[in-house]
Amino acid sequence: MSLLEIENLTARYSSGAGDVLKGIDVSVEEGEIVALLGANGAGKSTTLRAISGLVPHVGGSIKLGGVPLFGQGVEAIVRLGVAHVPEGRRVFPGLTVAENIMLGASNRTGLGRAEMMREVDEKFELFPDLVRLRDALGWTLSGGQLQMVAVARGLMAKPRVLLLDEPSLGLAPLIVQQVFKIVAEIRRRGTTVLLVEQNANVALSVADRGYVLETGRVLVSGKPEDLWKDPQVRAAYLGGHAIA
Amino acid sequence: MAIFLQLLFTGLGIGAIYALVALGFVLLIRAASVVNFAQGQFAMVGAYMLVVCLNVLGLPYLLSMAISVVLMAVFGVIFAGATYWPLRHRGGLPVIISTIGASIFLENIVLFLYGPSPEVLPGLFDSPGIQVGQVFMDSQYLSILVAATLLVVLQYFIFEKTLLGKKLQATSQDKEMASLLGIPVAAMILFTFSYSAMLGGIAGMLVAPVLFVSVGMGGLIALKAFAANIIGGYGSIPGAILGGLALGVAETMGAAYISVPYKDAFAFAMLLMFLAVRPQGLFGEKISEKA
Ligand SMILES: Nc1ncnc2c1ncn2[C@@H]1O[C@H](COP(=O)(O)OP(=O)(O)O)[C@@H](O)[C@H]1O
Ligand SMILES: [Mg+2]
Repeated sequence: MSLLEIENLTARYSSGAGDVLKGIDVSVEEGEIVALLGANGAGKSTTLRAISGLVPHVGGSIKLGGVPLFGQGVEAIVRLGVAHVPEGRRVFPGLTVAENIMLGASNRTGLGRAEMMREVDEKFELFPDLVRLRDALGWTLSGGQLQMVAVARGLMAKPRVLLLDEPSLGLAPLIVQQVFKIVAEIRRRGTTVLLVEQNANVALSVADRGYVLETGRVLVSGKPEDLWKDPQVRAAYLGGHAIA
Repeated sequence: MAIFLQLLFTGLGIGAIYALVALGFVLLIRAASVVNFAQGQFAMVGAYMLVVCLNVLGLPYLLSMAISVVLMAVFGVIFAGATYWPLRHRGGLPVIISTIGASIFLENIVLFLYGPSPEVLPGLFDSPGIQVGQVFMDSQYLSILVAATLLVVLQYFIFEKTLLGKKLQATSQDKEMASLLGIPVAAMILFTFSYSAMLGGIAGMLVAPVLFVSVGMGGLIALKAFAANIIGGYGSIPGAILGGLALGVAETMGAAYISVPYKDAFAFAMLLMFLAVRPQGLFGEKISEKA
């Protein structure tokens, strides 16, 4: 049994016309990094939002460790072990870096402020660049710093699976390399990652497997080397981002 | 100079009332994006709770206040359940209309239950006050200032020094993100309603011995609190406090030095002046910071 099992997932927004996801199957095994690739508007973010319980109209099923997620509230799903680092990072602008990271542990019951802060200090070991920004407010940070804070905050949940939505978006290539070094390190330490990216090059460089979405359907899936070989995929999706 | 200081003292006292109501108003804007037009009626309901405890049930003063504060906290949750909860996914305007409806409902239900005659309440202390230098400090105004200061300090402590406060701030800045972290957003919003009703209610209880307690007392207080918000900077917490104090002082000075009948006009003149010259108020914040 896979850790995260998505079967025949459909999704629709109240405001939108038709189904944004038209029955997709994705599975994530314990300890893997799985990449969800595809062009803008393919439905990658919607897939992650459906896992987190943020999409109102969904069909099919999503299970985490065998437990169905549909019908559970957003906050209950986080408590079951899904941490979502959303598109745009969404770092709280009026809170400090340390406070933002601390609140990542809100899904774990019985933790006091002091215990959370101790864990925040441990987290800084993985994000040395953030140490000097400990007390900086969210709105003062650069894109790369925001991404680091968002990932650190996600890890505070001690998630069974970490959902990462476009961590490379809007970052300079050098910063993208730093972020993905951390993603690889996170997995090495045992966290399972479902990674959404438009930047296929960099995503497939760390992923164990990938799925390519096209307008709400899985076009093709497989190991990175197989995806690279698929001429259709190369032409349509991966070529556009050659050399990150 | 003596008169000026005397007026300053009185103005700060009445301004502290506006500040407390304005503070409750701002907290709801920030936490739930709710513009609560019944904020003044929170003060009215609080004052009537105190009237019932003191004059009808004959309970001691401090016990009456304590009971009324607890009841206001409960009232805030009920108010949220009635006006906000069913409409929370419908955007701002339906909730605004619903709070306007609630303000009319509250005035009429109190009128129905208690009748139209205004009530007079004694002050918290028997002593009329103390003379400090050239200023006579009326004991009720002094109570208002001390209580308001304590509440502001308490609020600062809750919001800045506790985990609950950080969760409340996170909720007010980005509700969806807060819930993605497992913060119980609904509970945070209900807490804010409850706290906001408590602040409004306490303001009503404190001001009751200074004004008449009447069914319509909330309307003018709410208008002043709203003006305080604009003057201080819409959505700003320090702005609500300073705006309220500034308004109280301005109208007290205006009444004494210029014209008593036009006392209330000074508040609105000041509001219009700010809207024209400095619409972002004293503490104009970027919209993004209170999203
Ligand atoms: N809140 C929304 N309401 C209506 N339509 C939406 C909403 N969010 C996304 N969509 C639509 O759903 C489709 C997939 O979007 P998304 O999942 O964000 O794609 P991706 O993350 O792959 O770029 C797009 O056509 C987009 O316009
Ligand atoms: Mg997206």
